[in-house]
Amino acid sequence: MKLSAIRPIALVLSRELTITALLLLGVSFVVFIILYLSPGDPFSVLLEGQVSTEEAREGLREAMGVPKSWYSQYLSWLTNMLQGNFGTSVRTGLPVLQEVLRMGLNTVVLTIGSLFITLLLAVPLALYSAVRGTDRISWPLTMFSYVISALPVFWLGYIVIYFFTHKLGIFPMAFGYSSGGSGSAWLYALLPIFVLGIGNGTVSEVIRFLRSEMSRVMAEDYIRTARAKGASVWKHSFKEGLLIPVTEIIASKIPFILGGAVIVEQVFNWPGMGKMAWQAAQDRDYPVIMGVAILAAVLVRLGSLFQSVVYVAVNPRASKE
Amino acid sequence: MTAAPLLKIEDLRTYFYSRSKQAFIRSVDGVSLEIAKGETLGVVGESGSGKSITALSVMGLISGGPGVISGKIGFKTDSLQRNLLHQLEDYVTITKKDNRIMQVNKEEAGWDRHTDHLMDRIRGKEIAMIFQNPKSSLNPFTPVGKQITEAIQLHTAVRSEQEAKERALSWLDRVRIDSPRLRFDNYPYGLSGGMCQRAMIAMALACEPSLLIADEPTTGLDATIQSKIVDLLAELKTELGITTMLISHDISIISRLADAIAVMYGGTVFEYGPAKEILSSWFTSKHPYTTALLTSVPSAQNIREKGYLQAIEGDVLDTINIPAGCRFYSRCNRVTEKIRERCERCEPELREIVPGHKVRCWLYYE
Repeated sequence: MKLSAIRPIALVLSRELTITALLLLGVSFVVFIILYLSPGDPFSVLLEGQVSTEEAREGLREAMGVPKSWYSQYLSWLTNMLQGNFGTSVRTGLPVLQEVLRMGLNTVVLTIGSLFITLLLAVPLALYSAVRGTDRISWPLTMFSYVISALPVFWLGYIVIYFFTHKLGIFPMAFGYSSGGSGSAWLYALLPIFVLGIGNGTVSEVIRFLRSEMSRVMAEDYIRTARAKGASVWKHSFKEGLLIPVTEIIASKIPFILGGAVIVEQVFNWPGMGKMAWQAAQDRDYPVIMGVAILAAVLVRLGSLFQSVVYVAVNPRASKE
Repeated sequence: MTAAPLLKIEDLRTYFYSRSKQAFIRSVDGVSLEIAKGETLGVVGESGSGKSITALSVMGLISGGPGVISGKIGFKTDSLQRNLLHQLEDYVTITKKDNRIMQVNKEEAGWDRHTDHLMDRIRGKEIAMIFQNPKSSLNPFTPVGKQITEAIQLHTAVRSEQEAKERALSWLDRVRIDSPRLRFDNYPYGLSGGMCQRAMIAMALACEPSLLIADEPTTGLDATIQSKIVDLLAELKTELGITTMLISHDISIISRLADAIAVMYGGTVFEYGPAKEILSSWFTSKHPYTTALLTSVPSAQNIREKGYLQAIEGDVLDTINIPAGCRFYSRCNRVTEKIRERCERCEPELREIVPGHKVRCWLYYE
């Protein structure tokens, strides 16, 4: 790559990273406020089963070194966080950062895997119907994918578990329970990835979006020129008709898929961020919730960062601004 | 029109099916034209007269949806002879019932594949095309030079990147783009409309095609740029002797370049003959529509004679409900009592009134 091509990308990166930093600050603050205002706190959870008097909770708070006012609580979290210390889990005592990253990796596998499945289904169908219109091949396939998309993931998840694990016994029961070693661990991963990939309403939306984008580009004057000069229509329509819309879809779907992941991780007992967040919310495990929120925000920002970089790299006009 | 024609269009019909009206929109309705080697044929007519659809039919670019083409388009060079519509109709079945067209079944995939097969080594190599709106006709994501080298590498013996670039640069220079080396790496958005059209012309001619189709090449450009593009086309015509089919609604542009002119109206040819006869004032046996077109050109002379600019009354023909008689009847100002009935009831043929000059009008039937 020439230097002239890298410069605009570097510019976009620096701009995006600034936005990300500000956004993370905002997210952490809002999440903190919501936690602070919502009923319950970690102390009552820790003291559960014991006499939970006001004095006992106060004592516990002081023993754990938690400041009293909400702003000093937030500020102490923030200063620690900026030094790379996300605190420890109230429940397990494990360092939050390490735990969140470990679980987050599983969620990233789930998210990227399911996006891949979605695109694998949607891209060929969308391209086919953009070029050929709806015909005997594309219509039933599109309808089928719409129906599948409309199924709620938790239901689809249980159905899949019922058939593949109980009835057919092809897939192991649950993550980590398998005795077959690492081989069946990744096999187990296929089920939730598949369910999140085809369900959750993403496939139909991706098909519709990609198809309309591709048909629009196919009608462009420059595609007519490409045909008139005997060049490949695909080669000329690829960037605007496929590459840009696909990156847009990836960026805009990540928050949505993360939301779906929370449910799918519950259903499949998948040790990911969503399950961790769910558990932490039950326990009022504030440091973990904050950590998960920050990681989720980082993932979402990574998506749009990816989109911006691709867009600038592809679109000569955008890079001049 | 003496040498064996390079392109010979015979009874071309390009229809589009309208499902709601259960009828065909007859955009091109029986057009026959021919272009001899080295000749420039100007096709003139109002918008909607079917000129662009004729050109797109020649290029096999009528694909999407309901377009149905019939007729014959013979293309003949020293090394190649082909009917560009050969057996294309096999892919279409039309279901009729009481004069209504109930259904048009077009096997699109087969149609497209067959068209691509017929147009193989013709599009871009033998017939090149330039369009109106040059800015949007170039790929916005690819540098202009790259788009020219792509055509060169596709259609000529030149394969190496460097050699193709040298050739593209010499063409950019030839179409009078200054500092071609600089422009080579520019994207279309960085160039003006006129420059884009020059680049389009360079791209079209870089593979030395036998025929250039220029579809409204100056439409959408500033008036001064328009005349410069016409100058360039005239220059290239004398320099290279390219065979051209020039399509324009603007008869003044046609008049500067064309050797022969076809005047189109409502999907048919109304008058077809040597440019010098059609444009001259001494040749009076013209079609009333041609005369009307000539007097509606905003030239100083036309305005001086009348004191205002003459426009053609009425609207362009609705190509779904084509009347039984002459297509121009309702707008014609030269219908005499003697021929009125014929004008209203029957469509005249395109008839040779002097050798090499045909007119479709009852006025010239004895």
